[in-house]
Amino acid sequence: MPSAINRAWRVVATAICFASFGLGGLLLRIAVFPCVSLLVRDRAQRRQVSRRIVRFAFRSFIAQMRVMGIYTYELRNIERLQRGGLLIIANHPTLIDVVFLMAFVRNADCVVKAALWRNPFMRGPIRAADYVSNGTGPDMVDACIEAIRKGGNLILFPEGTRSVPGRAFAFQRGASNIAVRGALALTPVYIECKPVMLTKGEKWYRVPDRAPHFVISVGEDIPVAPYLQSGLPLALGARRLTQDLEQHYTQELARHG
Amino acid sequence: MNREQIYEWIVGVLHDTFEIDPADVKPESNLYTDLDIDSIDAVDLMLRAKELTGKRMQPDVFKTVRTVQDVVDALYDVMAENH
Repeated sequence: MPSAINRAWRVVATAICFASFGLGGLLLRIAVFPCVSLLVRDRAQRRQVSRRIVRFAFRSFIAQMRVMGIYTYELRNIERLQRGGLLIIANHPTLIDVVFLMAFVRNADCVVKAALWRNPFMRGPIRAADYVSNGTGPDMVDACIEAIRKGGNLILFPEGTRSVPGRAFAFQRGASNIAVRGALALTPVYIECKPVMLTKGEKWYRVPDRAPHFVISVGEDIPVAPYLQSGLPLALGARRLTQDLEQHYTQELARHG
Repeated sequence: MNREQIYEWIVGVLHDTFEIDPADVKPESNLYTDLDIDSIDAVDLMLRAKELTGKRMQPDVFKTVRTVQDVVDALYDVMAENH
């Protein structure tokens, strides 16, 4: 297919996918989740069922975009995510990273903006899936640790927002604080997207010249013990871990690229 | 403790807990933008303040605090109430 036509097709396909994402979300809210809360009364069980539904929905969305030719992707060492109680961190090049991770991680947990918990359309599914709210300020660290101890796989993007292409990684310290204060190893995920699409500040219809290829690779767990020496304040341990993670991600992504 | 001593105490805590160089700290330094303190660090700072004053800092007091001098003033007020 000539590249101009292919490109035009990908704009149309992206619009269709976004529309179906919205429509699917609406369907889940008005039809699926009301049934779940009616039929599954036990809270832990409802959490499991809800997370499975979200995962299925996101998997379908990922598949839809691939089938429509918006991108291609490959997964490396993804079996490392098939465990429980993980603290998963990832870099954040595109808008859809979270969709990928929620699709491939079982019992995935994530931090959801406090505003969405009050949103009448969103709060049903969010509550049913029992995600962590960011509205509790610093108490969020404890909430995240508890969520992981309950067996959930918490997904965090330490950059806090999408990466700026070409700029060095700047990680916030939340993920490191959760690791240090909960004595939890980190499971790193490296997301690459070439050429980049759906980056921050880019309009969705500005699709790249050719369909991007995603590589999502899972690294070996990063132990937290080196940052937990006695006498080292936790805040300092978290700072050192944050610096090391920034360096780690810079090296890993340079190696892959 | 007078304000000067409290200030010295804070400079020491910032160094021990967050490795902030005392040379970088000024009374007008903004904790969040100049000294890279985040909300999690602020909780640690409140705990240390409690050790000093023997009183629990009200979270809303700490929310209004922006600069090192604000912390000094808040702690001074708390300690003055004790007498």
